[in-house]
Amino acid sequence: MTDEQPIVYIDLGVGGMPCDDCVVRVTEALESVPGVTDAAVDLGSRSAVVRARADVEGSALARAVRATGQYNAFERRRRPAADA
Amino acid sequence: MPDPYDLLILGSGSTAFAAAIKANELGARGAMVERRKLGGTCANRGCLPSKNLIEAARIVWEAAHPRYDGLAAAKVEVDFPALVRQKDDVVRDYRTKKYAAVAEGSGVEVLSGDARLTGPHTIALDGRTIEADRLLIATGSRPKVPPIAGLDSVPYLTSDLLEADEAGRLDELPESLVVLGGGYVAVELAQLFARLGSRVTLVARSGLLRGYEPMLGETLAEAFRSEGIEVVTSARVERVSSDGGGVAVAVETPAAGRIIRAERLLVATGRTPNTEDLDLAAAAVAADGDGFVTVNAELRTNQPHIWAAGDVIGRQHGSQMATPVGARQGRIVAENVLADAGRRFDGSVIPRAIFVDPPIGVVGLTEAEVRARHLPAVTATTPLGYVPRAGAIHRPEGFVKMIASTIDERILGVHVIGESAPEIIHEAAMAMHFKATISDFLELIHVYPTMAEALKIGAQAFSRDVSKLSCCAE
Ligand SMILES: Cc1cc2nc3c(=O)[nH]c(=O)nc-3n(C[C@H](O)[C@H](O)[C@H](O)COP(=O)(O)OP(=O)(O)OC[C@H]3O[C@@H](n4cnc5c(N)ncnc54)[C@H](O)[C@@H]3O)c2cc1C
Repeated sequence: MTDEQPIVYIDLGVGGMPCDDCVVRVTEALESVPGVTDAAVDLGSRSAVVRARADVEGSALARAVRATGQYNAFERRRRPAADA
Repeated sequence: MPDPYDLLILGSGSTAFAAAIKANELGARGAMVERRKLGGTCANRGCLPSKNLIEAARIVWEAAHPRYDGLAAAKVEVDFPALVRQKDDVVRDYRTKKYAAVAEGSGVEVLSGDARLTGPHTIALDGRTIEADRLLIATGSRPKVPPIAGLDSVPYLTSDLLEADEAGRLDELPESLVVLGGGYVAVELAQLFARLGSRVTLVARSGLLRGYEPMLGETLAEAFRSEGIEVVTSARVERVSSDGGGVAVAVETPAAGRIIRAERLLVATGRTPNTEDLDLAAAAVAADGDGFVTVNAELRTNQPHIWAAGDVIGRQHGSQMATPVGARQGRIVAENVLADAGRRFDGSVIPRAIFVDPPIGVVGLTEAEVRARHLPAVTATTPLGYVPRAGAIHRPEGFVKMIASTIDERILGVHVIGESAPEIIHEAAMAMHFKATISDFLELIHVYPTMAEALKIGAQAFSRDVSKLSCCAE
């Protein structure tokens, strides 16, 4: 029962060529993944923090970002939401 | 402790650099670790300094041996220490502009020190502990020193003589030199020193350039002998010892035993991977019996988060120890590690050059490799004397050997020795990359008169008598 999945924070590394609306595009890509509550993207530190259900896989987030055609993302680590 | 690196790269050679730059593009926090000099073997003691000096030696040689009637021989004085200094300047300039500045500009950290694995995710670096989520072993290789009696008690040179700032460097031109080895490093350095004025004896265990098309080594040995380089093949080195101010090398050949004396000894008998100080066992990384790190075709070791590439993987998966090969692999690793690209290394089309004179360029399979794989194939060997440019500029020596499949006429291998071979081999490599056939070489109009016409004429030789061609091989 997916509703009962705990919420986690997933830290991602994000790379790509800088552009004007990148933060928006990467954020939208991450938030389009089912199970994601929200995403905070910081292109300055080339990272993102995604709040999501624990069953959301890093690879799904990475695929969504790569599907933009301009960005890459990979999972660094995940932590329980209580830590944040 | 700071956050672990996303990717920690052991080494800073061409393999490491390509990986670091790509990893940075892909968003990773990466670092390279180097215990010698930034840029690794190629930049500091390999490709770059050797090609610099080889070209200088060619100028000296050509001035003394003009190929044209009507041009008188001239002696170019060689100031070896000055020549070495300009080489060092070129190397330092490259190191600054092509390595240090690039690393800095792309935000890749460089950590100095001798790295040793201490666990699956940690290395010790001169007393510090560095943590990383993923590792790339790109520690390259160094000259292999064979177990020859007496070698530990005589001074000898290795290809590290090309270094600018390290102990093994060479500042004085030896009056005479014995070179042990028959591979590409041995032949390049033997001719370099001979042309600068040393009396050179090259001692090889088998023929020259074992593993290449045999005619390449044979043609080269002949050219070397005609330049006054003594070439001793099928030789076993029994022992080396000090001899006055120089060295004496006891050699057995099928014909006789003899002692070769020279001022200096250069050992160029191959390369060995830089893995034994790494403590691969601490991270449970597997290596083969010679110390090369074992990888799959995606360049991953037996540990899912540890990868290896470049010279340190030797010849696995069709790899070769060469700078652009390592660089390609470095990029593949970064893409596989950080973007799940699932790319496999493909070594089927690797053009390779040996910067001797006459120069050599090869790509693809040798005839022996084709036979070993039971591929139905035909070969055509064409002397470069049939190439108009070769005749026009008095450089007729050498040949091109092409190997093609009899099933679909696809080119399987091309082997050239002669003028401009390292340049023209790219046409063959591009052809193989696009799976070209014999007819594709015939269809392409080639510039007249260039040495690249050798490929068109070489392709004609599968079906015609090329001694009867006029201009432009139509
Ligand atoms: C004389 C000579 C001529 C050559 N000419 C050519 C040529 O013309 N064309 C060509 O393509 N190739 C040539 N090569 C081969 C080429 O130099 C190598 O294939 C290439 O440098 C391999 O790159 P790499 O990054 O894998 O390893 P390397 O360049 O060897 O780099 C590895 C680096 O790792 C460092 N390292 C090792 N262990 C540790 C450790 N424990 N801690 C920290 N650092 C460590 C080493 O100091 C080194 O700098 C030549 C080689 C030689 C010797």
